[in-house]
Amino acid sequence: MKFRRYALGQTRRGFLRGSAGLLGSSALLGAVGSRASAADKVIKIGFLAPLTGPVSAWGKPGLDGCEIWAERVNAAGGVKLADGDYMVEFVPYDNEYDPAKARTGATKLVREDGVSFIMMLGGDTWPGAQPVADKTGMLFSTLLPSDLAPDTQTLLAPAEVHPIYNVTGVEWLAENRPELKTAVMCAQDDALGLPSVATYLAAFEAAGIEMLEEPLLFDPATTDFAPVVTKLIAGNPDIVCLDTCYSDYVHPIAEQLFQQGYEGQIISCTADFYDQMIEKTSKEFMEGFVFQFPDFDDPALNGDNINFDDPNGFFAEFNNRFPGQWGAVSWEYASIMDLWKDAAEKAGSADPDAVLAAMKEGGKGLHAFGEANWWGTDLFGIDNALVGDWPVVVIRDGKATIAEFRSIPEWYDKHGELLKKHMSAYGQMWDQRS
Amino acid sequence: MADLLMQTGLNAIYAASYISLIAVGLVLIFGVMGVINFAHGELYMAGAYAVVLFYSDFQMPFLVAIAAGLLFVGCLGLAMERALFRPLRGNPLGGLVASIGFLLILQSLAVMGFGVRMEHIPPVTQYVIEFSDRVRLPLSRLYVILAAVVLLSALWIFLKKTRFGWALRAAAQDPEAAALQGISITQTARIAMFIGAGLAGIAGALTAPLVSVQPHMGHSVIVTAFIVIIVGGVGSLEGAIVASIAYAIVHTFVTTFYDGVIADIVGLSLMLLVLIVKPTGLFGSADRA
Amino acid sequence: MRNLIVLAAGLAALIGLPHALSFSQQEILVFLTINILLVSSYRLLTLTGEWSLGHVVIMGVGAYASALYTKELGIYVPVGILLGGITAALLAVLLSFPLFRMKGFYFLIGSFAAGEIIRLLWKRFRDPFGGPKGIKGIDPMPDFSIGFYDFDFFEPVSYYYLSGVVVLVCLWILWRIERSPVGLTFHAVHWQDKLAEASGVNLRAYRTLAFAIASGFAGIGGALQAHYLGTINPNSFDVDLMVFVLTWAIVGGTATFYGPILGCVVLTVLNEIILREMGFEQMRPLIYGAIMILSILFMPKGLESVVQRFTTKRTAESAPRQEANT
Repeated sequence: MKFRRYALGQTRRGFLRGSAGLLGSSALLGAVGSRASAADKVIKIGFLAPLTGPVSAWGKPGLDGCEIWAERVNAAGGVKLADGDYMVEFVPYDNEYDPAKARTGATKLVREDGVSFIMMLGGDTWPGAQPVADKTGMLFSTLLPSDLAPDTQTLLAPAEVHPIYNVTGVEWLAENRPELKTAVMCAQDDALGLPSVATYLAAFEAAGIEMLEEPLLFDPATTDFAPVVTKLIAGNPDIVCLDTCYSDYVHPIAEQLFQQGYEGQIISCTADFYDQMIEKTSKEFMEGFVFQFPDFDDPALNGDNINFDDPNGFFAEFNNRFPGQWGAVSWEYASIMDLWKDAAEKAGSADPDAVLAAMKEGGKGLHAFGEANWWGTDLFGIDNALVGDWPVVVIRDGKATIAEFRSIPEWYDKHGELLKKHMSAYGQMWDQRS
Repeated sequence: MADLLMQTGLNAIYAASYISLIAVGLVLIFGVMGVINFAHGELYMAGAYAVVLFYSDFQMPFLVAIAAGLLFVGCLGLAMERALFRPLRGNPLGGLVASIGFLLILQSLAVMGFGVRMEHIPPVTQYVIEFSDRVRLPLSRLYVILAAVVLLSALWIFLKKTRFGWALRAAAQDPEAAALQGISITQTARIAMFIGAGLAGIAGALTAPLVSVQPHMGHSVIVTAFIVIIVGGVGSLEGAIVASIAYAIVHTFVTTFYDGVIADIVGLSLMLLVLIVKPTGLFGSADRA
Repeated sequence: MRNLIVLAAGLAALIGLPHALSFSQQEILVFLTINILLVSSYRLLTLTGEWSLGHVVIMGVGAYASALYTKELGIYVPVGILLGGITAALLAVLLSFPLFRMKGFYFLIGSFAAGEIIRLLWKRFRDPFGGPKGIKGIDPMPDFSIGFYDFDFFEPVSYYYLSGVVVLVCLWILWRIERSPVGLTFHAVHWQDKLAEASGVNLRAYRTLAFAIASGFAGIGGALQAHYLGTINPNSFDVDLMVFVLTWAIVGGTATFYGPILGCVVLTVLNEIILREMGFEQMRPLIYGAIMILSILFMPKGLESVVQRFTTKRTAESAPRQEANT
């Protein structure tokens, strides 16, 4: 119910924000986080992601998170470089998840706005921006490591190593619920779903869990999940795996699993708004649900290993300002900015090459969930993904709690060949992704 | 196996119900106005958001929220008729462009008012009718099925037995002759838009607790609705219902026995096949093309 | 003589245009040029009275074909672009067998379904189409020099000149086709189909011809885009873009050759430059939708009707000798 409390205010405020924009208060939307006065020196950061259209749920909440991040950093004195303190300003460009618009946006951000770093969602849009990155040497980040390839040295996947971290959930489940022997899986047929399918297949095989059926693929435009669920549970599996389904799918699938009488284990990559899922099903049904994204008010995130400044405060502030909009992307772009700020301050400069060198120094970096390695040559052909520990989150008594941080590299050292095998079968290795 | 077939059958009946509500509204609008309403999916979305506002936020009873959805979306339909389709009468391509513009506006308003992420709608009921352990029909889905049967039967009686219905059918068949008979084209257009939009709205409102309500949800239903009205024959209400049932059965069974993507390809291929064999759809007449 | 001066001035303006623009506007200019070809070829199809919702997918067929020819078979890029157009035209001929059993609204939706099936096939068959992620690393146009100008096809200005020439040639061909007896027959197929049929015109053959030619040029447009961007995927050719093409054509007006071009230029500049510059990042769809509605309500005959009113007034004032030229 946490999110609903704000609902009315949110609705009204949403309309007010909208109408304010309509009246032409363009500064509100044009340059986010620009609390800097004219006298301050400013570093511009490009935010090149879908802000309108069906994919905007992967961009807009991230920009909102960055707005909070910029306010906090600027209030604390900004980014401290060799030649003084700089305020941070985000310059957004809506690429509508279209490669042509991503290219136009990248050109504008690099050659006209003079940004020092560009954050992208990636996916379909990255190949559009890639020529600009190659020609200008601009530093880019993506949320989808499957964009990485050795041709572009300046593309990083520093926050999310989707879908590799999904192995931690399966490994944890196999250790803690060894009686579960069979599994089924469903996924939407798109660039996010397929590499995740390969990863889960490898993780299940490594854990000795048998797949009862081929993974069931559905079109991203599906709205009614009853037939999908009927098929999934027809063979009485011990585990139902929801792959990296978007929350728009996870909720109706969970609801259908509940109503069609499934009582076994569920594992999923995400469970945004799980409190609403509990309300739609039951506390008992959702008990033990395993996924990979903690609430940022989780006490385990206050540990010394965490490199995200005041996660609990950030979470509260975000929900206060953008009720009902929290999701993984809300903090991921902000955590990339943490990493970038550290590197820039270490290098004393915002120059893309210097920041990149400082970031990758020693082959280690401070990921939000602990110190991690720059890794990825096997899968991506280049060590530009920051991989370390990742939390396994379990719903207990109606609340998502971090059960354990598990190491992705340790799993990979043992079972890397399996992952490569399944990734190849789904055409997801970097040299197959033509 | 028998259980699986029966459960899939129930799934298909549910799918046929909500698809036919949407498709019949679309057909009615096309029949009377001669306009392809591209914004029909967004009317469905508006119905779902009415439930978000009245049921989830204002905590009114679900039935009240559905009625509000019907009225609100019906009025949106009236507004479209007055502001867009009436000035553009006799210009079907203009109507098409106007409805696309309207679609963009509705989507943006939903984003501005409610945000891009999905909305939460608490379940109306969690009661499930259990035929056996693996054959179950949730009550909330039964409501949709019953509502579709009742509403479409009522519409049927309205069209066949009342003077309004007679006028509506006459206007759909031949506007000029209908006008000569003293039927007000404007009046019938208003009724058709209200009913057509209202049906989409009520479909959105009824299914809102069962699907993910977000600003772009209309996109996925409009494609299905187009397939259905083409297979049924444009302008034929009976055709739309029969085609909804056929499409729902094919799509549901193929999804369960193969997968969802293949089901989409099969659905579209069947539609092309119907068109090749009978280019005006199952129930269509040649002169309405 | 007067026409020649106008032509030369127009060409000079087109050559000089990119140098008056910012970098990102140059990028938009490249895509705009390609979209002009797309919408002009679309108009040729509408001459026969048929409105398709599959045109953008056909453009994608050209893009996929050219990308695969150059990537898998090592064909020289300019040849690949041409072959991409031919592939699109051939596929259109194939599609015409089922599609031209339908007319009007049925054709509209039938073409949409055919396009969706093609898109689903691209998604479904990862080999060779690359699945939902599409194809990356498509060969760029090889750089070359013509003495006084070095073409570097990363630079939008260079690619604008190249695609501009290609598009101008294509537009000229489209223009000649429309003015030829074949083009006049297209008009007849639309407006007087019973009469045309009675006069011995094979309606189906002419519809197919128009569909194939339009598809061929759309395919060339798609191929041009693929070799500039270096990437294509099934979502780039979805119904959203088709809806834009449709609105460009209708808002511009399809009675004249320049109507759709006008619609494409005006709406693109509005959406991509003006609304973005004004800071309406997330409000753009709303404003764009409102403008579409207003323009269709108050200019039901399209932007071209405004231009026509303006020019007819001018010619009426000046001299009747102008009429010989128009």
